[in-house]
Amino acid sequence: MNGSWNYILRRLLYLIPVLLGVCLLIFVLFNLVAPDPAALLLGKHATPEQILEVRQNLGLTKPLYEQYFDVVKSAFTFDFGRSWKTKQSITTMIRLRAIPSLTVSLPAFVFSTILSILFALLVAYYRGKGIDLFVRVSCIAMMSISSLAYILFFQWFFAYKMEWFEILGYEPGFPSVLPFISLPIIIWVILSLGPDIRFYRTVILDEIYQDYVRTAKAKGLSDRKVLLKHVLRNAMIPILTYTVIQLPFLLLGALLLESFFSIPGLGDMTIEALNESDFPVLKAMAILSAVAYVTFTLIQDILYTWVDPRVKLN
Amino acid sequence: MENTIKIKSRSVWSDAWDRLKRDKLAMVSLGVIIIYAVVAILSATGLLAADWDQKVGESYMAPTTEKISLLFGTDIFGYSVLRKVIHGTQIAMSVGLISTLIAIPIGISLGALAGYFGKWIDEAVVWFYTTFSSVPGIMLLMSIAFAFGKGLTTLYIALGLTSWVGLCRLIRGEVMKHKNREYVQAATAIGAGNGRKLFIHIIPNVIHLVIINASLQFQVAIKSEVILSYLGLGVTGQPSWGTMIDDAKQELAQGVWWQLAGATFAMFFVVLAFNILGDALRDALDPKLKGK
Amino acid sequence: MLLSVKDLCVDFSTQDGTMRAVNNVSFNIEEGKTVGLVGESGSGKSVTSLAIMGLIPDPPGKISQGEILYKEQDLVKFSDAEMRAIRGNDISMVFQEPMTSLNPVFTVGDQLSEVLMLHKNMSRKEAWEKSIELLNKVGIPNPKHSVGKYPHEMSGGQKQRVVIAMAIACEPRLLIADEPTTALDVTIQKQVLDLMLELQDQYQMGLLFITHDLGVIGDIADEVVVMYKSNVVEHNTTSKIFYQPQHPYTKSLLACRPSSDHNPKRLLTVSDFMDAQGNPLTPETSKMEKVEKDFGYDEEKNPVILEVNDLNLHFPIKAGLFRRTVDYTKAVNGVSFKLRKGKTLGLVGESGCGKTTLGRTILRLLDPTSGEIIYRGKNIADLPKYQLKALRSKMQIIFQDPYSSLNPRMTVAEIIMEPMILNNIKNSKKERFEHAQWLMKKVGLEPEQLSRYPHEFSGGQRQRISIARALAVDPEFIICDESVSALDVSVQAQVLNLLLDLQDEFGLTYIFISHDLSVINFIADEVAVMRQGEIVEMNTASMVYHQPEQEYTRTLLEAIPRGVPKDE
Repeated sequence: MNGSWNYILRRLLYLIPVLLGVCLLIFVLFNLVAPDPAALLLGKHATPEQILEVRQNLGLTKPLYEQYFDVVKSAFTFDFGRSWKTKQSITTMIRLRAIPSLTVSLPAFVFSTILSILFALLVAYYRGKGIDLFVRVSCIAMMSISSLAYILFFQWFFAYKMEWFEILGYEPGFPSVLPFISLPIIIWVILSLGPDIRFYRTVILDEIYQDYVRTAKAKGLSDRKVLLKHVLRNAMIPILTYTVIQLPFLLLGALLLESFFSIPGLGDMTIEALNESDFPVLKAMAILSAVAYVTFTLIQDILYTWVDPRVKLN
Repeated sequence: MENTIKIKSRSVWSDAWDRLKRDKLAMVSLGVIIIYAVVAILSATGLLAADWDQKVGESYMAPTTEKISLLFGTDIFGYSVLRKVIHGTQIAMSVGLISTLIAIPIGISLGALAGYFGKWIDEAVVWFYTTFSSVPGIMLLMSIAFAFGKGLTTLYIALGLTSWVGLCRLIRGEVMKHKNREYVQAATAIGAGNGRKLFIHIIPNVIHLVIINASLQFQVAIKSEVILSYLGLGVTGQPSWGTMIDDAKQELAQGVWWQLAGATFAMFFVVLAFNILGDALRDALDPKLKGK
Repeated sequence: MLLSVKDLCVDFSTQDGTMRAVNNVSFNIEEGKTVGLVGESGSGKSVTSLAIMGLIPDPPGKISQGEILYKEQDLVKFSDAEMRAIRGNDISMVFQEPMTSLNPVFTVGDQLSEVLMLHKNMSRKEAWEKSIELLNKVGIPNPKHSVGKYPHEMSGGQKQRVVIAMAIACEPRLLIADEPTTALDVTIQKQVLDLMLELQDQYQMGLLFITHDLGVIGDIADEVVVMYKSNVVEHNTTSKIFYQPQHPYTKSLLACRPSSDHNPKRLLTVSDFMDAQGNPLTPETSKMEKVEKDFGYDEEKNPVILEVNDLNLHFPIKAGLFRRTVDYTKAVNGVSFKLRKGKTLGLVGESGCGKTTLGRTILRLLDPTSGEIIYRGKNIADLPKYQLKALRSKMQIIFQDPYSSLNPRMTVAEIIMEPMILNNIKNSKKERFEHAQWLMKKVGLEPEQLSRYPHEFSGGQRQRISIARALAVDPEFIICDESVSALDVSVQAQVLNLLLDLQDEFGLTYIFISHDLSVINFIADEVAVMRQGEIVEMNTASMVYHQPEQEYTRTLLEAIPRGVPKDE
């Protein structure tokens, strides 16, 4: 027991150098490499004095180590300052925008995960047969089409032409939100099916050729029982870790989907910030998503030891 | 010594090539990729579709078989969509190639060093790639592209710098495994040094992973180009599949589908070919995984 | 008749066409009797057992002909559901690999209960109670507690006991055991064998025991079926097989296995008994002569070349928040011995006793914690890495696994010439190549095969390549680390003969590491028995084998299957 707390503590401590590294990366990209934000903000006709003033206001005249320290501070306090464009507090903006993102991404994630696992079990059961080949080929074909093409076509066909859904926009509240989010959810599910089915199929087949499966069959269990009990329970270990690590991306939302369907989520906010060169928002999103990611890798590691009795926290 | 004795011997590579040759779908895919590469080279050398910025007709002419340049119709300026697709092929293939060429040396060298030497080198490399992989792919791609400014060079750098992590991790793990294999210990026992063990013994045994990885990396880069170009971070002033799909956003409502279709299909075939070839390469080079 | 296999043929379809894995195999098993199915790898013995269980993977495998009559019913014609009712209930099976044949994510109790609930309609609670009873029966300590353990919390021998408990849970009429003890240490092997025989006696089961080791079969079987290249070549009572073998292959199997009471100069091999076409030959009797080994030595001819004094290798165990060292695993603990030129020191012990670690430490592939390794008067234990290179040409090693000890990307020529290049042996590429050709002949391979790659050779041939590589630097002594353990017995005999021939010709000195006491007895002059990192007993081979001083050595020796038919 002591060992596991030590492990969790050690993993927590390891987050510090990783987050410092992430901050360094973001600092290098935005404070060193990126074009001068003052020039971007003021346009072509700004005088050197005006530029200097803006630079001072933005804290860009501070020594570099102080600028780096500011980035680090924001990562640990979640205080990202204000947006250059809207002048709002970024933390507030993120809080408001997170809900629409999750409204789309959570159900989409749940549907796609369940569907993919079911398909993967089906093709693993019929491995080497016609249906397996068909699903595998379809997966590769689906993965080979640009996600943009899906979005454009579906939006045009199902929303514009058939008028089954709203073309774009967002109305909070249930069920008023449904016509707006249904199509993005469907597209998300379709986009995920290809890679997910392939992954789940591989992990299930990895297990099917293990010795314990032969032992289970020698007991007299049916193929279906062997697959659904023995194989699936083992395959759940990689499946669970794979799904957990996708969770932080749900928060980020689907950038392209939100932008196309004008869903006021974090993805949409990020793209707006990109178009407006709104540095603080972009930095905040990069840091936030990194923090979310490293947190979930920690959760993943802990879950791993929980679902796999062989692994002890050490 | 090759001259003294001639016995037909089969290296691991020639075995793999034989297995690959037996896979008809993989050979078709290889053919498709070669055709795309030839088109890209012809376009880059100005032999094909150099005149993409010449009007060939009215704005938004529907596809027709009357003239080759009108095969895929015209865009808003009356430019040939076919020529734009061909020029886009050049962009896509060069983005795939150059970003892969940036990612591979970083991935191999860091992965091999970390896996082989372990200790603090490993700690440092692991920290380095954990940092890179902690910022979700699309955010990092956007940040890098944004920092370096628009343009083709940015695409190469952004895609190159974001795609070495997977390979690095893979190579590190494999090198660690091979380091403890008996053939490497045998090399130590006959007096081989670190350099020899790493370069003559271990790396040739993991290099096939690079080939498999490169073929998958190539298509990821092609797909990412489309998204970055749509976000306004990619190529400007010349057509690419991404900018064409971006244009289609306004065009579909007017019933103009050919620009979207042209770019999507052009991209579909080459990405599909790389996907199939990547799978086939894995089966051929790593027969342990065969049948999965 | 409990089981009757008649003219069974199993085909596998491969890319190069159909391959027959089992050809016209017939035998019977009666209740309470044991039939041994003996053969080397690829002989078709395991496929036969899977066919009886109805577990041949289809595709690519298929029973193309024959009948498997269980209580007069043909199992081949059974439907999937009918077969499932038989499996694990009437006929059950124990597999070779106890490490992997249990599901790692379910407790032992879950896995035992499952088979009871399936075939005996027990409730979960009844099944759990019965599982505890079964664990007790197969000799698992503290069954009430063990029933809730996961497989990884048990030792290999215990896991095999659990697999056996699972197999006998429904009191089957026929038990099939496919090399059930091959992966286990010799003392554990004996315990597991005794357990199986006791259970067989108790339930009066038929037992089909599959093994490559005639020694094991002799102790337990009533009848023996010998398989060779998919065919049954001989089928008789155990004593007939052992004392009046008819087929040359059976004869060679009996002769090629070293045993503690028959110590020939060289082991006979298959090629002494039959030619490539399978025609019987008469072996030269001179080879079979029993020899008394000369355990004496001559200070002139056999000087001490290697002396190990109080050698230790301790691996730190780290724990806590800052990974501080809290304890040490003493892999090699205070080991001392002397090695004389031209002699062989046998290092024997069970898995995990530190024998392999000791071997690698002597070669400085691992760095010792403390102690001396004096090679020709010079302590090499703490020599810096760059000074070791000069020693590399004097000491070599031959590993266990013929599949991972050769670089698959190099040709045999490159493999054998590499040590010459590194140690500046021979002056030109041409001379090196000629030397490699000469070495190939010395180890019994064709020089023309130099341009081939390792995967084009069989296990025994690869081991010969490893030997050629070791010899390329003209070493003074060679450590053979379980060098014949992964090979079939007939191939093992050939490689052992080769090592002895090379020792005679080049005056080599060996440290021969093995878990197999019979092999050690055959090849070694002196034997050191290791346990938990220490040498517990060391003496001449004949003293160790005939007058062991330590209790542990005695236990080891008693556990060796005697290979004497049980009806004697």
